[in-house]
Amino acid sequence: MEWQRLIVSYIVGFVLLNVLLGLMAYMTWFERRVLARMQHRVGPNRTGPFGLLQPIADGIKLLAKEDIVPANADRLVFLVAPLLSFALAPLGAAVIPFGDTLHLFGIDIPLLVADINVAVLYVLALGSVGVYGIILGGYASGNRYSLLGALRSTAQVISYELVLGLSLVGVLILSGSLSLQDILREQQRSLVLGPLTLPNWYILSQPLAFALFLIAAVAETNRAPFDLPEAETELVAGYFTEYSGFRFSFYFLAEYINMIVVSLLAATLFLGGIDGPIADGVWWLAIKALFFLFFYVWLRATLPRFRYDQLMGLAWKVLLPLALLNIALTGLVRLWGIGAL
Amino acid sequence: MTVQVLVFWLLALVAILGALGVVAARNPIHSAIGLVLSFLNVAAIYLIARAEFLAVVQVIVYAGAVIVLVVFVTMLVHPDDLPEFHGRRPLRIATGLVLGLALLAEVSAAILAHGLRGTPGPWTDDTIAAVGGNTRALGQVLYSDFMLAIQLTALLLLAATIGAIALARPEAVSERLAAARRVMTISLAHPRGLDQPALPAALPEPQNGRVKEAGGGRPIVLARTADEFTEQPAWGEWRAR
Repeated sequence: MEWQRLIVSYIVGFVLLNVLLGLMAYMTWFERRVLARMQHRVGPNRTGPFGLLQPIADGIKLLAKEDIVPANADRLVFLVAPLLSFALAPLGAAVIPFGDTLHLFGIDIPLLVADINVAVLYVLALGSVGVYGIILGGYASGNRYSLLGALRSTAQVISYELVLGLSLVGVLILSGSLSLQDILREQQRSLVLGPLTLPNWYILSQPLAFALFLIAAVAETNRAPFDLPEAETELVAGYFTEYSGFRFSFYFLAEYINMIVVSLLAATLFLGGIDGPIADGVWWLAIKALFFLFFYVWLRATLPRFRYDQLMGLAWKVLLPLALLNIALTGLVRLWGIGAL
Repeated sequence: MTVQVLVFWLLALVAILGALGVVAARNPIHSAIGLVLSFLNVAAIYLIARAEFLAVVQVIVYAGAVIVLVVFVTMLVHPDDLPEFHGRRPLRIATGLVLGLALLAEVSAAILAHGLRGTPGPWTDDTIAAVGGNTRALGQVLYSDFMLAIQLTALLLLAATIGAIALARPEAVSERLAAARRVMTISLAHPRGLDQPALPAALPEPQNGRVKEAGGGRPIVLARTADEFTEQPAWGEWRAR
């Protein structure tokens, strides 16, 4: 039944969206607590046990703030841009498989919102459209700091998107498919290396691609040490300088949702996703994604921000050649593997 | 089928409205937004035609890269320096009109000669399924039948890349080395490059200056835990005031 499957996938999508929003709220709490621990501070601990109610308090506070539109602003674009950023962020999670089918009420429920046969490209496309929220927000504010932040962000996202896409080509060559489900199925096989039997996770066969993906993903989500679009020492707050209240928080939330989606994607593409040593399931994906989220916070606490020319030099002179090298090597190995060389 | 047709008309309508917006908008950024809207709707029409790969590539290349670059360049230019968008340029309007009519005539001639449906090629649903999906089929066709075109396109893009690098490259070798050193230096302490003169060994003494005395009136608070520092009680804790 076509319509029944459609309704089921809508329901799965709705549940996923709400889980993501809840996770995103607690990601802010997690980041503040972990960051505080790393900096010998206490962090939020007044609202609720261990400060657990802090995200809710923050949300209420932001809702109660005044929504200011600057006199110089391009009004309609200014109002819509943060919504664009926020609406596009959770869509990437729609193609990530969270497990096999679930039998409930006599219906098979696939734990995946949409099985697209070009899922990897779909995620990249979302990333490339997501930059519009930043550019338009920065442009529409009618403020030089915002404009500069938006310009930096555009250059950064275009450069690192290239690295991100090219770093995935190695994985695509090995799996021979653009579908995340096929990539996952390929990783569930085991890899025999002499006496060792390892899972066929792509982090083992594509370590360079994994490193490049990780670096590019941090830059793509505008996180430290690549948070130049919002470098507060130079640009006040970059592209969202003029935003206040809930429109400001839309940008903020989009950043956190992007982090979660990218972590899920990295876990699925390189660490075997739901595949684990015992009892495959969504919990393995959660553990792996949590590791990446911790890594994000860890990076922020450890590294100083890059200078702008270093950022662009790193992308074009170091990461891009490495990604191309990885593609060439993987292609050669693949050809040798199927006996064409 | 009827739902598909309805969705198609809706998408086509929005795509055309977006294209009209490109021409009608007075602000170049608004034009770019209209163009993105149009591209996205065309991508959705590709999706209805079950060309997922084409749809996603349309979004990545046109909406994601080309228009982003257009917006980027437009934002770098000051609004006052932009050419007049409408009016007072009769020659330009006439040229645009002639070129537009020529394009319209070409497209209409193509449609009238071959019909709107076109002639079906050798690929049917069954042959595509036999190869394993339309992405795979597209790849096979592109890299076997159209190999020459692909190679030529790649050559053209490579030439463009080399041209861009040649344009951006400094002329003198010393400048190139200095630029490379600047990029590769990560200064941890002070934002000075390596190519600047050294600081003097000793800073000059302040003239008739007075060094401010250390110390101040504010007491230093030493707190072991947050509770010693703040008056506000922690969760679930009642403190006598």
